[in-house]
Order: sequence, then C-alpha cells, then structure tokens
Amino acid sequence: MSFTITQDGLSKLVNEWLARGKRVAGPSRVKRDCILYVPLQGPDQLLLEDFIRPANSLKEFLFPKHERLFGYRINGNGVELFELEPPKTEQLLIAARPCDAAALPILDQVFNWDCADEFYNRRRQLTTVVTLACSAHDDACFCTSVGLSPCAERGSDVMLVKLDRGKYEVRCHTEKGRSLMEGRLEPSDQVASEPLGPEKRFDPAEVREFVKHNFASAFWQSEGLTCLGCGACAYTCPTCHCFDIIDEGNANEGARVRNWDSCQFSMFTQHASGHNPRENQPARQRQRISHKFDIYPEKFGEILCTGCGNCTRNCPVGIGALSVLTEIGHGEHL
Amino acid sequence: MNEAGQFEPKIVAYVCNWCTYLGADLAGTTRLEYPPNVRIIRLPCTGRIDFNLIVKAFEIGADAVLVSGCHPGDCHYTAGNYHARRRWILFRELLEALGFEMERIHFTWISAAEGRKWQQVVTEITEQTRKLGPYKNLYADTGNGSLPIPEAAPAVDQPAGSEGSLRQRCHQLLADGTVKVVIGYGTGGPVCVTKPADVGRLVWNNQCSSNLTTYLKRQEVRKLGRAAIVVKVCDERALVVLEKESQLDRKDLHVMGMACNGMGQPKCATCDVRVPRFADEVIGEVASVPLAGPPNAAPRGGAALEVLLAKSPAERMACWAREFERCVKCYACRQVCPLCYCERCIVEKNRPTVIDPSPTVKGNFAWHITRAFHLAGRCIGCDECTRACPAGIDLRLLNLSLAKAAEEHFGYRAGINRDVEPLIGAYSLQDKENFIR
Repeated sequence: MSFTITQDGLSKLVNEWLARGKRVAGPSRVKRDCILYVPLQGPDQLLLEDFIRPANSLKEFLFPKHERLFGYRINGNGVELFELEPPKTEQLLIAARPCDAAALPILDQVFNWDCADEFYNRRRQLTTVVTLACSAHDDACFCTSVGLSPCAERGSDVMLVKLDRGKYEVRCHTEKGRSLMEGRLEPSDQVASEPLGPEKRFDPAEVREFVKHNFASAFWQSEGLTCLGCGACAYTCPTCHCFDIIDEGNANEGARVRNWDSCQFSMFTQHASGHNPRENQPARQRQRISHKFDIYPEKFGEILCTGCGNCTRNCPVGIGALSVLTEIGHGEHL
Repeated sequence: MNEAGQFEPKIVAYVCNWCTYLGADLAGTTRLEYPPNVRIIRLPCTGRIDFNLIVKAFEIGADAVLVSGCHPGDCHYTAGNYHARRRWILFRELLEALGFEMERIHFTWISAAEGRKWQQVVTEITEQTRKLGPYKNLYADTGNGSLPIPEAAPAVDQPAGSEGSLRQRCHQLLADGTVKVVIGYGTGGPVCVTKPADVGRLVWNNQCSSNLTTYLKRQEVRKLGRAAIVVKVCDERALVVLEKESQLDRKDLHVMGMACNGMGQPKCATCDVRVPRFADEVIGEVASVPLAGPPNAAPRGGAALEVLLAKSPAERMACWAREFERCVKCYACRQVCPLCYCERCIVEKNRPTVIDPSPTVKGNFAWHITRAFHLAGRCIGCDECTRACPAGIDLRLLNLSLAKAAEEHFGYRAGINRDVEPLIGAYSLQDKENFIR
C-alpha cells in the first residue's frame, strides 16, 4: 500500500502556493540548452522529467548569491546601523534532486557552527523541500560513491518516486511534509521500484587518506594544470558555501552585503601584503578537494559533497571533482 | 522634481579640462544663462573618459549624459580626442545592442572660445531630456520576450587520419625536444602532454570546440617550457591578436593548425575559412569550400543578432536584464577567454571599487558591459564565453554587435590580418563623427 499524486495534483499544489503569495521554485527550462532551478510563475514552467538535473543548485534559495545583511547611514561624523527586514516568504522547493536536498543538512551545520546565521536559518524554517527521485543519471553523476542514492531521503520533507508517466509515489519524511501533502494523496497498490543509481566510482575514505598525506604530491600539479580558475564548479555546487563581505552604497548610506566567493579565484587568499599562500591553480584545486573530503569531515564528521556532478558538467574544460577523485581512487597518482 | 512637482532632468557632463571646461567657464564669465540641470565632471582629456563613467552616471540616476572635449586637431595631448572618438563609435553600438536609450547620450566638441555653443548644447539637451522624462527603463525587465537563439551548424566528422598524424607529429616534436609540452584536446577536455609516450591522450574529433590558446596566459602552463599548441582556424585568430598586443612571441610557440570541418557550433555557421593560415604546420585536408559561403559574406553576426537589433530598445534591454539576472559572476566567461589576460581584472580592483562586484542587476550589467567592451575590436568570435557560461547567457551576441561595428565602421576584423594595427590603440583622421555635434 502506498500513496500517490499525479502531475495535475502537483500543478494544483503549485498554483495554490503561488495564489497565497508564497514562493515556489523548481527545475525549469530557461532556454533551449539550459535547465535551472528558478522561481516559478506557474506550474507549466515546472519541468519534471526527461533531463538529468538542473545546471545550478538548490542552495541559492537558502543562501542567495547576493544578500544584504544590515544597512548603514552616515550622519555627520557618526554612522547609524539598522537591521533589515528578515526573509518572511514561505517557499516550496519542488522536484528538487535528492543530491540537492541532501546538501541542506550539510549547510545547516556550517551556518550554525560558530554563530547562528539568522538569514539562513530563517529561510530554512520557511522552506519545504519536495524531492523527486532520479530516474536517470549520466556519466557525471556519482551519488552512490558518496553514500547517497537516486532516492536518498536526506534533507527531503517529501519524496516523489516516479510510477508511470505523470504519476508519483509520495513518501513523507517529516511533519512538514505530511502537512503539505495532507488531503492531496490517493491510496494505491502500486509501489515504485527503487531507481537504479550510477556505479560506485571511488571511496571517500581513500580520497581522505590520500589528501591527508599527499599535500605536496606532484599529482596536484598535473591535475590542476588545465584548470582555468573560474568559479563555475563552486557556484553550481550544492554544498560550496564560501562568501565575501563588502560594503555597498554611496557617500550617505548603504548596506553590508555578502556575495558568493570561490576558492578557485586567485583573489580568494590574496593577502593585503600581496602574498598569496595558494599561489597557483593546482594549489587551489587541491584546496577544493581537501576541503570537501578532509578538512570538512574533520570538523563536522561528514564529507562536503553529494555527488551531483555539477562541477563536472559545468566545467568549461571538463575537469570537475569526479575526474580527480576517480584518479585518486584508481591509484593513478602512485 | 522641482518645487512645482515637475520633472527636472539631471544631466551629467564629462568634459575635458582644456577646451570644454574652459568653454563652460567662458559661458559663466560672459554671463550666458543656461539651465542649472547639468553637473560638470572635469577630466584631463576625453581620452581619459572611461566608458564605465558613462554607464555609472546612468546607474546613479542621470537622465542624460553629455561627453565633450576639444575639436579634432586641438587636443592638448595631441590625439586623446581621436582615440576617444574611435572608442565612442564602437561603444555606442554596444549600448544600442544592450537597449540603452541613445537619445540620452550626447557627444560634442566645444572649444575654450565656444561659451555660446556650451550654452546652446546644454539648453537643447535639457529641453530634449525634459521631454523624454526620467530614465525609467535602465536595466528594466519590462517583460518583452527573450533573446533570439542562434542556430548551430550541423556537426560533421573531422578528416580521417588527422588524429593519427597529429599524434605522430607531436611524438616527434616532444622526442626531439622542439617543444616541452603539447597543449591539445583530450577525451573530455584539454590536456597538456609532456612525454612522447603520452601522445595517445591527444584526440581530434568533432568535440574539439574549445579554444586552447587561453592556456598561453596561464603561468602554470608557461612554466612547462616551449609549447606546441593545437588550433583550429577560429582559434588561430587569437594568436594574431595576442602577437599584435605583444603578449606572445611566435618563436616561443609551435602552432599545429588543424584543418577543420566544423564543430557543430553556431560560430561554425558563420565560419568562412577552414584551414589555418598562420600555423607552423597544418594537419589534415578538408574540401576547400568555406562552411558559410564565400569569405566576407554578410551578415557576419548571423541571424540572431539581426533579430535582436530589430527589437525596440526597451525590448532589447528587457532581454538582457532577464539574461543577466541568472549571472552568478563565476567569471567563467573571463577565464576561458584567450584575450582576457590581465593579471588583475578591473572587477577585482577594490581600492576603490570600479565595477560593482555584486551579482545584482546593476552589478551584472556593469560587468558584462565592461567585459564586452574590453574585447571591442579584439574578440575573435570563438564563443568560448558563451559555451562556458553555466547560466546559459548568450554573451556572443554582445561580442558580435561589436565585431559587426568594427567591420562596418572600420572594415576591421580581429585576428585576420597580421599586418594591421589593433583597432583600439590606433585612430584615423577620417573616423566618422556624424554623431558628434
């Protein structure tokens, strides 16, 4: 015995949320070759099937690329600081990929580590996540290698698993999910089969062992050689969370804001003196892998990667984390 | 708004210190009356008036911008205004493509003796702007349509045997020490091959659309020593520009030109040559018929640019506002570009900030205007910026609008002729000035 919802049921849900002035975001085709998670204007924009995953990640709905933290006004010789209104719109993230949803509990830890991030937490409370289990994967997918799967429930309030075209089995994982789906489900005898995941490509424990002991290895030099130093991998990664803080305004008033930042930029570690401790791209590549598979686990007890493969798909020169990780896994560095 | 609640335009005037500023001063000392709507910003020379200043004025609320300097031949620095004129010709075309309201941007020559002309110009511009009303559509998504999508040429197989010949030649070059590294295409992405035994990693097929010449600026690759680089005819144009801009010495480089059947990209649909012309050696043979008909077959920009330019300015701006909204400022467009080689990009300058670094509508417009215009007369149309963009922003259309302007106004195509001076950096007394009053 299971519970199901049809595509029409989902459309109705989207319409109701939008009608109440709430935000709904999900995968949508923004142009011919580009599918992204975007705020939806209506259910017809929602794309449920026939693609692998959006080119961006879900994180931007909790940790936006640009966020004002507080405002300031300059009065004569003094500065007056003022609070900005916290986010208060409820949002529904629909048809999220499990690898995106799994990143949210990981981000929760970072944004509540040495201080609790008000903006992030507020948004998180206002967010309900409905994931759609993956029914297809490509060469860049590697969720099974990092302990997840096409129907991993971590981070989801509700999970949809495809039964037939336009019909989904619904699995509610949290109270939030249950109340969202209340009165929308139909009982059914059909039970979805577990979708097939990509083959395992490497073992994160081995990667951790390698990066721990091979800081100065020539492996990084050869791996990082073709990296061009853009932030496409970090900015489309569901778990990368670095940001830069700047003041934005004119002579009279303005705001302190945070913008996404990436460890792949040379400016990221540039000191005021001019010294740069990560002076070349291989060092920055190493940092990215080390942070995800060693430094972060050291601090929080789990890896900072959900195997979505966005870094690989979005890399203009076809590097991404996967190629590096599999090479480590195959012992090609030895 | 004035006290009566009527709209009063704000006009920012960038003027040169030696002519127009003195002309405005003369207007004052001779008690000529003109509207107080103009805010004068004095700079040493029109040649110093960065295009970003024009954009900046609009960003902070100007309803019109006036740029004015010495008449041709009168420049205090000999040729500052000639250089400025050439840049304005191109910059206006970029602003057109972006959908700026061009009737709000004015250029004049006013000498130190022309107090009366200053009075006239300011009066006229103020009246004209008053009629136009406030500049509301700047960076506005008024909800009209989306950017036209260019059609790609069909993907074709590359000449048989080329891959084998390429590997064989690279093996020789590495073995005899002619080069220390081969920058070439591998499965899944570019590779740097340093050992003869590894030449099997090199491939040549219809997936080789990226432009490898961007690696010539990477210090990590430069450190490896003398390089052989695999180029297609479109990539090769970057080498010509880099050489003209003193960024490389061809003696330090061995260029392996690949005869190409096209990579199935939109750029291939407008390609009119197929065999590299400046390479040290060419590998493979293709039919001599150009992909896109005879050389110089117009329109160079392709149909998508024509469709964009046929829209109204408000529609064009709405298209771009919608595109740029998706920009996250990962700077993949800059990093893949072989001609974006500044060690420190202007957007990274933060003391003071020149380009707003935030990925907001304003910050994204500022960045994309800067990126496109810094490539004016330089972009070789490899479309790498567009291919690399994870948000699917069609930056090629901005590049094409500038390439089209360079061709129409100056008969110039970047990277085609090794003997012609770079477009920006040179000037001609005959450059058109029908837009300057």
